[in-house]
Amino acid sequence: MDNVKQKDLILYSGLIILGLAAPFLFPGFKVQLTILCVLIVLAMTWNLQGGEMGYNTFGNILFYGLGMYLTASVQVGMFFPLAEWTESGGEKTFVHTTSQYFQGMGVGLLVAALVPTIIAGAIGYAILGLRGHYFAICTLGLGIAAGEIAGGIEIIGAGQGFTTPPFPKDIVDPGARGDFFYFLSFVLLIGTFVFIKWIYGSRFKLILNAIRDNEDKAEAMGIQTMKYKIVGWMVSAFFAGLAGGIMGGLIGYIDSTDVAFDGREMGVFMVLMAILGGKGTLWGPVIGATLFHFLKEGFWTLILGWQYVALGVLIVVIVIYFPEGLMGWLREKYPERFGEVIDEKDRKAQVELK
Amino acid sequence: MNKLTKLFITFISAITLMLSSMSSSFAKVDGEYIVLGAAISLTGKYSSNGVHTQNGYNLAVDRINKMGGVEVQGKKYKFEIIYYDDESNPKRAAQLAERLINQDGVKYMLGPYSSGLTKAIAPVTEKYKIPMVEANGASRSLFTKGYKYLFAVLSPANQYLEVAIDLAVEKNGGKPVRIAQAFEQDAFSQDVRLGILDAAKRTGSEIIIDDKLPKELNDMAATLAKVKATKPDVLVVSGHTKGALTAIRQIAEMKVDVPMLAMTHCDAAKLSKQHGKKSEYALCASQWHKNLSYKDKFFGTGKKYDKDFKKEFGYAPPYQSAESSAALLVFKDAFERANSFDGDKVRDALKTTEMQTFYGNIKFGPGGQNTAKPMILFQVRCKGDTCENKVVAPTKWASDKFYHPIPKWSERS
Repeated sequence: MDNVKQKDLILYSGLIILGLAAPFLFPGFKVQLTILCVLIVLAMTWNLQGGEMGYNTFGNILFYGLGMYLTASVQVGMFFPLAEWTESGGEKTFVHTTSQYFQGMGVGLLVAALVPTIIAGAIGYAILGLRGHYFAICTLGLGIAAGEIAGGIEIIGAGQGFTTPPFPKDIVDPGARGDFFYFLSFVLLIGTFVFIKWIYGSRFKLILNAIRDNEDKAEAMGIQTMKYKIVGWMVSAFFAGLAGGIMGGLIGYIDSTDVAFDGREMGVFMVLMAILGGKGTLWGPVIGATLFHFLKEGFWTLILGWQYVALGVLIVVIVIYFPEGLMGWLREKYPERFGEVIDEKDRKAQVELK
Repeated sequence: MNKLTKLFITFISAITLMLSSMSSSFAKVDGEYIVLGAAISLTGKYSSNGVHTQNGYNLAVDRINKMGGVEVQGKKYKFEIIYYDDESNPKRAAQLAERLINQDGVKYMLGPYSSGLTKAIAPVTEKYKIPMVEANGASRSLFTKGYKYLFAVLSPANQYLEVAIDLAVEKNGGKPVRIAQAFEQDAFSQDVRLGILDAAKRTGSEIIIDDKLPKELNDMAATLAKVKATKPDVLVVSGHTKGALTAIRQIAEMKVDVPMLAMTHCDAAKLSKQHGKKSEYALCASQWHKNLSYKDKFFGTGKKYDKDFKKEFGYAPPYQSAESSAALLVFKDAFERANSFDGDKVRDALKTTEMQTFYGNIKFGPGGQNTAKPMILFQVRCKGDTCENKVVAPTKWASDKFYHPIPKWSERS
């Protein structure tokens, strides 16, 4: 046990140092790094449902979008009349002081974590009884419906979109905003990782796996599967809401279907990233998201106008050649490195039996 | 340390290397080039208008470079544009603006296509104090946020169809009219809607249908069914290119009779070409038309611009292209007057712009919008099977009389 911990310690402290140093090493890439953190959080939380529980959800974007709108609304609404801020045409502009900005952001993020969690509980209670494709389609509808509904609510800007408060003008350093959002997302990433790692060592994860492998048997064993499914989704919603809140502040402009409830992009990306890295593993989504983000940022501009074709090819390649993702592929290739022991004698014996 | 950990560390270091090799070595002025940055929608729902914008930019860059370029401190410079594809997505656009500024070292920006995307980019350019001349973000809310580095060569969106309502009232003998309207759920179209609401209030007109259309709209049959039942005096539709195409297609299919049809984006959608006679009598708001009498030394008149553009790209330039070309003329003028590459000096020069281009007069108001140029309205008119856009308002440039009311479908051949 101690031995394992020591190895991990080196790895984790190395990664944390890298994470802390990253914005100073690559000051020009702060925004991309921030988005990377958010993407990893989204992939990891999706993995809880899609990977561990076997419930392919397209609905996690709902919590992300909710978090985004809630953070921005609270941040504005705490100090100024929200309706006047978002009024179409935007004749009035209010300016947040430095302390108002950060207070608003803090409270906003708190709300952005709690409300989606509660909503996940409520919706989960209603729809987590569905299984397989029915659940996937139902959650897909959730995301789309949320986007259309948000696009009709005047107080959050409706179709006009919602401009989030600008970073306080008193902080003159133009790099400060980037640093703030980077470290905020980095802290979220660490928090999410630690929590999910803790889940991985718990009975909770085994129950989620049992649900994935055979829900009926799990129920027959006396596990109240519904309860665990709901709690699992609430965990995802909590972190996805926070991720959305941070992204809203970073982007500075919230549009109902293109930024907040962006099922077409973010909603698909989170699934893709988890599958690319290997769903059902702790590190899979992290690696998948990182690789995906680098591919996207690195090569997107080289094939201007064709990037979605490339994305399509990538999806096909992943599904055909790496159906278990990178981690799954590695695991199959080098099982001993994953602590899986193959009994050569036994294997040979089996071959001979055939 | 187990092998997996090693593998992981190798992976991380590879990424680190990759990142550090992608350093930002570009400069705002690279040798003889002045580098401008632009995020343009080459894919996604705004892709056709994004391409119109890009073609407009490219034509102007070529022209200016060929005619001697930009003279700053006695030296001639050429324009160069770094393009990225924003995928018609505001999230992506904001990210790319950061990338252009931080990684590519761009110090001057050109605008993207559409108000929503401009809204997403403006906070970024503002933060880094990067002057941006934009040609395709018309939403009024862009000009009330107190942005100091944003300059728009076009008229604000709420002015697009206001005139059309006045026209309808005038045709109705000065009496208020009944308006049916349907607008896409996006920043631009919703602003056009605000203009109509103002006009309706001013003229005492009544809005009997006020529908919102989804983005990426392909169907507005529900709205049209209501129009058929309630018989309004004017039908107003705005939803970028797709909105214009969908409206004409379905109005013709359902044979909806309405005395007046006012729209936006008719020329970008090439309505008169794509739908021919079906689109006849549609009244369209436009920022520009080739028959206007403005001129400049780079493109000559609007007609000449139209000819040159057709030669280069094989289709008639919609106003989106014309205004995009104008943005570069504005930048050139500002650089030469500032006689410097300092961002703030260029901004100050932009602020005091007062010039005529083939596209119209340009003078920026306090919010950054162009206050020197009126909107125009044209109507699609057909002779035989060839349809053309004829300017009908304002009267100064009107080449044809406004045809009202639109004949019923049963009477149209």
